Amino acid sequence: MKVLKFGAVWCPGCLVMKPRWKEIETENSWLQTEYHDFDQDKEIVGKYNITNVLPVFIFLDKNDNEFLRLDGEIEKDKLIEIINQNKEK
Amino acid sequence: MKFDIKKILGLSLLTLVLLIQPIYAQSLPINAYFFYGDGCPHCAQERQFLFHELKSEYPNLEIYEYEIYNNRTNTLLLQQVSDKLGVGVDGVPFLVISDQHFIGYANGMTSAAIKNKIAECSLEKCPDSVASVVGVETKEVMPTMTNKTEGTELRKETTEIQSPLSDNVLAEQNKKMVKLPLLGEINAASFSLPVLTIAMGALDGFNPCAMWTLLFLISLLLGMKNRKRMWALGTVFIVTSASVYFLFMAAWLNLILFLGFVVWVRILIGVLALLGGGYSIKEFLFNKDSGCKVTGDEKRQKTFDKMKLAVQQNSLWLAIGGIIILAFAVNLVELICSAGLPAVYTQVLALNEMARWQYYLYILIYIFFFMLDDLFIFFIAMITLEMTGITTKYAKISRLVGGLIMLAIGLMLIFKPGWLMFG
Repeated sequence: MKVLKFGAVWCPGCLVMKPRWKEIETENSWLQTEYHDFDQDKEIVGKYNITNVLPVFIFLDKNDNEFLRLDGEIEKDKLIEIINQNKEK
Repeated sequence: MKFDIKKILGLSLLTLVLLIQPIYAQSLPINAYFFYGDGCPHCAQERQFLFHELKSEYPNLEIYEYEIYNNRTNTLLLQQVSDKLGVGVDGVPFLVISDQHFIGYANGMTSAAIKNKIAECSLEKCPDSVASVVGVETKEVMPTMTNKTEGTELRKETTEIQSPLSDNVLAEQNKKMVKLPLLGEINAASFSLPVLTIAMGALDGFNPCAMWTLLFLISLLLGMKNRKRMWALGTVFIVTSASVYFLFMAAWLNLILFLGFVVWVRILIGVLALLGGGYSIKEFLFNKDSGCKVTGDEKRQKTFDKMKLAVQQNSLWLAIGGIIILAFAVNLVELICSAGLPAVYTQVLALNEMARWQYYLYILIYIFFFMLDDLFIFFIAMITLEMTGITTKYAKISRLVGGLIMLAIGLMLIFKPGWLMFG
């Protein structure tokens, strides 16, 4: 499983999510994550059709297929629950 | 000598009657020009005092009254009178006796000053330059009932009412004293406006409109090695942003103070507050998005490019100049996004009569609390060298609270403006 994180420096919600993800990544070292800046990484932003709200978190399976998309501020517990449920994907 | 008891009794009675009969003396006529507004509680208090207390005590007093909220001619007349007297009139009640004017009304203090002036002008002729402006004829002498005893009483009373804290004022003040835990006894009237200022400023601060530029600037500053330069550029941006807001609010306040005499301006702002409040509550109830809305890609990119250019200038002064221009332009544009709360707040401020410097002091307090979250984010970033965001949860709650406050103020502005006069 892999998580694509989309955010921007000017978005307070994205800044709030940064330390939460940092903690999750430290606690789950096996988890693959990638951060993409909304203003700089235009290609991947376009590919995943990120348009209205930031931050956006896209969950990909082993075949790089999107199986879940979340946006806005998400509680750490909820993220951990989703990650644990989909660990094998 | 034969005494006729009937004659003696008759003469005694006549003497007694003559002694009791008031002596007709010369008392000078006085004109008072009273400008007021319908629905203005201070005007109503002053009107009560003028017509029920003062008029019965001084029959030589002629009161001319002019309603200005619903009467454009009277508003213009007030402007002419204020021009003639060379004074700035910010609101009503406004009373002119002789060439002395009284702005506002505080029972016990203003009434004492008014009585003093009437007493003075009853005895000595006072100039009346306003008469020619409003088109009133001045009379030379008006007979009035008085006698020596009454005259003495009048002077005595004048001395008594000169005390600034008469029983009336103390009773009035006691009514407004409220005991609160931790804070002790406070005056509700003088406490309400500062509390409202802090609440509205803080709620307005959670509006994320202008926050994105500060965050972008901080992200640029954190890439620098020169900490002095970081602090300088960040501080300049924040101070300029606050100054733009101050200029906007001061201009808006002066416009409202100027147009505030016209009742529809107050009602229009009341309607604006209702609409703004309704929108905020709708957003709270139906907009479940907790993130940042992505809008104006091109505009944002242009701003970012210019900001980068300004920050990367070798000369600190050039960089500061660039940041000032950018902060000014960005905040001016973003004002449209947050014009609702400051506009409604300045209307409430205008309803409360105070010295001009006090108005500006309140605006500064409002702006300080408005900028508090920006200051927090800036200082944390400068000290820890890491960017921090404030959770949008607070923005969501502030939408609800701000919406409810706006609705309440809107209703009061339209139906009960007196409730917003805290003094």
